[in-house]
Amino acid sequence: MANERYTIGNDLWTNLLEQWAGKFRILAPQREKRGLYLRPVTRENSRSIVYGEVRAAQPLKTFLLPPLEDVTGPPADAAAPVLFLGVKACDLSALSILDRAFGGDFPDPRYQTRRNAGLVVSCDCSDPIETCFCTLVGGKPFPAQGFDLNLTPLEGGFLVAVGTDRGGALLKDVEARLAKVDKSGEQAATRLHEKTEKNVNRRNKEWTLSGSLKNRVSGEWESEAWAKHAGTCVECGACNHACPTCHCYFLDDITQKRLTRLRGWDACLYSGYAVTAGGGTPRPRLSQRFRNRYFCKFKYLDDNYGQCGCTGCGRCIEGCQGKIDMRATLQDLKP
Amino acid sequence: MDKPTSPYQSQPAVIEKIIPETQGIKTFVLKPERPFSFRCGQFAEVTIPDAGEAPFAPSSSCHETERLEFTVQNVGYMTKRLHQMKEGDTLGVRGPYGNGFPLDEFGGKELLLVIGGVGFPPARALLYSLLREKDRYGRIVMCYGARTPADVVYKYQLDEIRRQVEFLITVDRADSGWSGNVGVVTTLLDGVKVDLAESAAVVIGPPVMMKFSTLKLLEMGFKPKQIYLSMERKMYCGVGQCRHCMIDRFFICKDGPVFRYDALKNLPDIWG
Repeated sequence: MANERYTIGNDLWTNLLEQWAGKFRILAPQREKRGLYLRPVTRENSRSIVYGEVRAAQPLKTFLLPPLEDVTGPPADAAAPVLFLGVKACDLSALSILDRAFGGDFPDPRYQTRRNAGLVVSCDCSDPIETCFCTLVGGKPFPAQGFDLNLTPLEGGFLVAVGTDRGGALLKDVEARLAKVDKSGEQAATRLHEKTEKNVNRRNKEWTLSGSLKNRVSGEWESEAWAKHAGTCVECGACNHACPTCHCYFLDDITQKRLTRLRGWDACLYSGYAVTAGGGTPRPRLSQRFRNRYFCKFKYLDDNYGQCGCTGCGRCIEGCQGKIDMRATLQDLKP
Repeated sequence: MDKPTSPYQSQPAVIEKIIPETQGIKTFVLKPERPFSFRCGQFAEVTIPDAGEAPFAPSSSCHETERLEFTVQNVGYMTKRLHQMKEGDTLGVRGPYGNGFPLDEFGGKELLLVIGGVGFPPARALLYSLLREKDRYGRIVMCYGARTPADVVYKYQLDEIRRQVEFLITVDRADSGWSGNVGVVTTLLDGVKVDLAESAAVVIGPPVMMKFSTLKLLEMGFKPKQIYLSMERKMYCGVGQCRHCMIDRFFICKDGPVFRYDALKNLPDIWG
């Protein structure tokens, strides 16, 4: 059933959502005072889900790799699978980094359980915001892969693209009532894609980041841009924590009745991040830690996992207390 | 044997014996609950109750899996707590992690070990392995530098080591009882003659010592691919996830800790 494309009307969609709610814990974007937030779908809020627009505030790692977790306690519960609804292309791209990082030679059982039991029903963006820059890092504001199902908002419903067999199975009970997408549906989807992509490009027209960003960053170890743009950094780690691909962690042991080993999000901007027992650190200066974050995003992660570590979601820009814009830093590096 | 439910799960290891080496260095002889197999140069994550975990390379022979020895200097928060532990106390160990020394690449070669401070513990594990099949290798020369005579570890084994390898020792600062060489470990290298074409050098020690030893070896004519470095960085997971130990794209915990210098030489700030 993978690769099938259907149209689904709003009424049938509501039906389907109710069915899913019985099997999954559904997390979907809801509008709150300060933006879109992934919240559990309930009977009360299911009609106010924001499908298109833009990515939610929280990156998916919040749920797959909680900020602080006992990693020696009971295993993650596969019986409580999460269905992520309305995930955007930038966050799907981030998932593929996390999948590689926590699925390699030493697969992480908690991440694996959550990921394998969970499902991703993504949605195209329709209203990018000023911090969006997926198209500068080779992305698009609509997913091409990595989803179980993808939704394209249409007049009166959605175009549903099936990405995996598990995604197809989500539609099984309503399959007979689904219509194969017709030409006008495909045209409407293409129009939305083009319009949204243009919108992202328009918001980024002041940046001229042509060529490979990996080469752009890699060649500029000595650049003055690092110290310049780190100038307003207050080392809060918000960029790290908000980033959907940052996944550095610390381990901390607490012994009460038994040994509890906690895994928590770390941040490479913190001065103590790489400090060894003797007090030494390879990055004593803030500008060096700042530079490391860019090298990690644009070079090291690419070397490790074959994919740029920045998805252009813009959360680091939005969360920065020092008004640091990653695009401006990149712009200051010589192409 | 139960499969650990988590990659972070350690197995208990009782401290059977504590050997005081110097004022600030002790050797802990551990009896792990289950045999602990490793290759020399690999490391383990050692749990110190109420303190946390830290990575240490065993100083014992990898051919002994019932007992594990770690020789540890009291330098930071966790090592201080470790030094407060008593015989009979229980620690945790998990691992082994990392690549270890490539003994096959050393076969048939003259080996020059350049060792500083508490680089001796993993070097001792390497020596145990080398000496077990001594015929596989050419000459073995070990140059060891300690800060002062009081900081020299394994004093009770040095005569035995001298009988089996060419062992040169120096201290940065002498005391009245010291009649040997004074100066940093690279000063010993001036007196070492090796067959450059058929040699390999191994460097283990603190970062500054490793940097200058590597530069000295290059000056002596060693090629980058003949120099093997056991690298160190802050480390948590040991399994290539937490990213604390990275040098450029390399995970020291997974791609290392032993690197050939030709893999690192063009990377910035490797001596951290």
